[in-house]
Amino acid sequence: MANTLKEAPRLEPLPRIASAAIIEDGRYLPPPADGDGQTWVRTSTLIQSTPEECYRLWRDLPNVPRWQELMKEVRVTGPNTSHWVMEVNGKTMEWDSEILKDEPGKRIAWRSTGGSPQNAGEVIFDTAAGGRGTIVTILQEFGFGRVSSATATVLSRNPKQAVIENLRHFKALVETGEIPTIQGQSHGPRGVSGKLKASLYGEHVPTPRGDLQRAS
Amino acid sequence: MKAVCWMGKNKLETLQVPDPKILNPHDAILQITRTAICGSDLHLFDGFIPTMESGDILGHEFMGIVEETGPEVKNLKRGDRVVVPFTIACGNCLFCQKQLWSACDNTNPNAHLMETMYGYSGSGLFGYSHMMGGYAGGQAQYVRVPFANVGPLKIESDLPDEKVLFLSDIFPTGYMAAENADIKEGDTVAVWGCGPVGLFAIASAFLLGAGRVIAIDRFPERLAFARGIGAVTIDYTQPDVSVLTAIKDLTGGIGPDGAIDCVGLESHFNDLQGVYDKIKTALFMETDRPGVLRQAIQAVRKGGTLSIPGVYGGMLDKVPFGAAFGKGINMKMGQTHMHRYMKPLLERIEKGQIDPSTLISHRITLDQAPEMYKVWRDKKERVTKIVIDPWATKVA
Ligand SMILES: NC(=O)c1ccc[n+]([C@@H]2O[C@H](COP(=O)([O-])OP(=O)(O)OC[C@H]3O[C@@H](n4cnc5c(N)ncnc54)[C@H](O)[C@@H]3O)[C@@H](O)[C@H]2O)c1
Ligand SMILES: [Zn+2]
Ligand SMILES: [Zn+2]
Repeated sequence: MANTLKEAPRLEPLPRIASAAIIEDGRYLPPPADGDGQTWVRTSTLIQSTPEECYRLWRDLPNVPRWQELMKEVRVTGPNTSHWVMEVNGKTMEWDSEILKDEPGKRIAWRSTGGSPQNAGEVIFDTAAGGRGTIVTILQEFGFGRVSSATATVLSRNPKQAVIENLRHFKALVETGEIPTIQGQSHGPRGVSGKLKASLYGEHVPTPRGDLQRAS
Repeated sequence: MKAVCWMGKNKLETLQVPDPKILNPHDAILQITRTAICGSDLHLFDGFIPTMESGDILGHEFMGIVEETGPEVKNLKRGDRVVVPFTIACGNCLFCQKQLWSACDNTNPNAHLMETMYGYSGSGLFGYSHMMGGYAGGQAQYVRVPFANVGPLKIESDLPDEKVLFLSDIFPTGYMAAENADIKEGDTVAVWGCGPVGLFAIASAFLLGAGRVIAIDRFPERLAFARGIGAVTIDYTQPDVSVLTAIKDLTGGIGPDGAIDCVGLESHFNDLQGVYDKIKTALFMETDRPGVLRQAIQAVRKGGTLSIPGVYGGMLDKVPFGAAFGKGINMKMGQTHMHRYMKPLLERIEKGQIDPSTLISHRITLDQAPEMYKVWRDKKERVTKIVIDPWATKVA
């Protein structure tokens, strides 16, 4: 009996720590809880591509505005440093960022070193169980608490949702070469209720164009 | 261009709107030559599907001529005649690779809305609410077709539009419904609803080897159509008819091997449960009226299979799950995995095995569409299927 219970012909060794610590020593770990002045978001997606390919696009900083919402520019300022410019409702937000860990095909970790919003994060590229693509997991921390998170939600997207949507855009871009959108399509008069619904559904946030510039 | 716009519950208008544009590299623009009104459109018309915005262009059953293609569309060129599947699929995600096309991961720009309601998002659909993508539909003169490199089926023969138009939805939907009923040679299958989906399900059940099909509806012309293609019919509104008893009578008391619900969330019942569901949905305590689903779970034999092409949207009340468990039944359902069926079914049409155009009862203009939705809803004028010529100014 004890032996039959152990038969598992396809069992793969568990990663000791994987995916921004979703699994540790075989146990599932919940995401970190929000605290005072700290908002966390952890999310993941399955992409039909290799960890190397996903890493390469993620690490291509000048192209980030092509798949991240509201991002105006990412300028590389040094081997591990960059300057980020975002525009939310006409208001510009800027910060400097530093890469702390850079493991090609595996992991990138970063933190901001000045400017706002204060943020830090880690993205991990893992081969999915059964070799069914790459699981990309992102753990991101923002240096602000519930109040400003709620304000941002009213003005634009909730920052947690923005991280989720950006990962979704990233996946679509890697898998299909474009980011799906309905912005700019034909429709009849929206009226007050139609417009209200559209912004409620987040449809006013411009879809990133997905038009990658190939480095020459 | 002209398009049928949803302007609120039970309120449609044919309006002049801007022509569609290419927005993404895999887009194509079609000039629509024929389009149809579907039973699913009634759920939008009647306000059962949430997240519609006023101004939305309806329609998901259409075909036409390629007018323009985006830079990444290599399989189509201007002038090609195509039928477009109502589910939009990318072709590359895990689900597309598994041929679960209507579960595509990458085509719903509003995936988060569906995730909130359903856990995960399905594919985008044309003209079918913002939680299903918010894409403009095809009851119009032109349409933008995203992922045109994957979906549209080229029609290279000279078959008239009307014979191939229903490859855009209801023929594949009826066919998948029969396939989902797991039909074995000689099986008995019961089909609720003899609308276009039900009728295609009946025809497909026979194609797949059913020995007997029992069809249930209340409209004489639809029941006659069902008998015409070989089914035994039950008029569920006839005095003294109990559907469950009738089905037992017709199967020697064991029930059908397969049961197919081609009615969905707006099933009609005159009895107490009909009143109960009407009140509950009116009070928003229930989102769907699942009368047929309840009946089909009761009716199917022990270990039988229930196939559900009829659309359900939200929270259902008083579904006899104990009966489903107690009899050990199987259930299969969902939006049709269109791309799987279009080509093989086109071949059946080309070989003359089936002529879908016989379903058409009405041919109309875009301007007539808002009025004809009411006829379609109330099943007046012996309507079986309405097809729109978006360029006609007078009915032929
Ligand atoms: N799964 C999919 O991908 C898909 C695709 C297309 C349509 N659909 C759905 O299939 C269903 C049918 O579509 P249709 O175009 O045939 O619509 P339809 O409105 O023409 O047909 C529905 C039929 O059901 C009958 N009906 C109503 N209450 C009944 C009852 N209690 N018992 C028996 N019959 C009853 C009506 O009389 C009518 O003839 C709809 O729910 C539609 O949304 C699903
Ligand atoms: Zn349809
Ligand atoms: Zn896909």
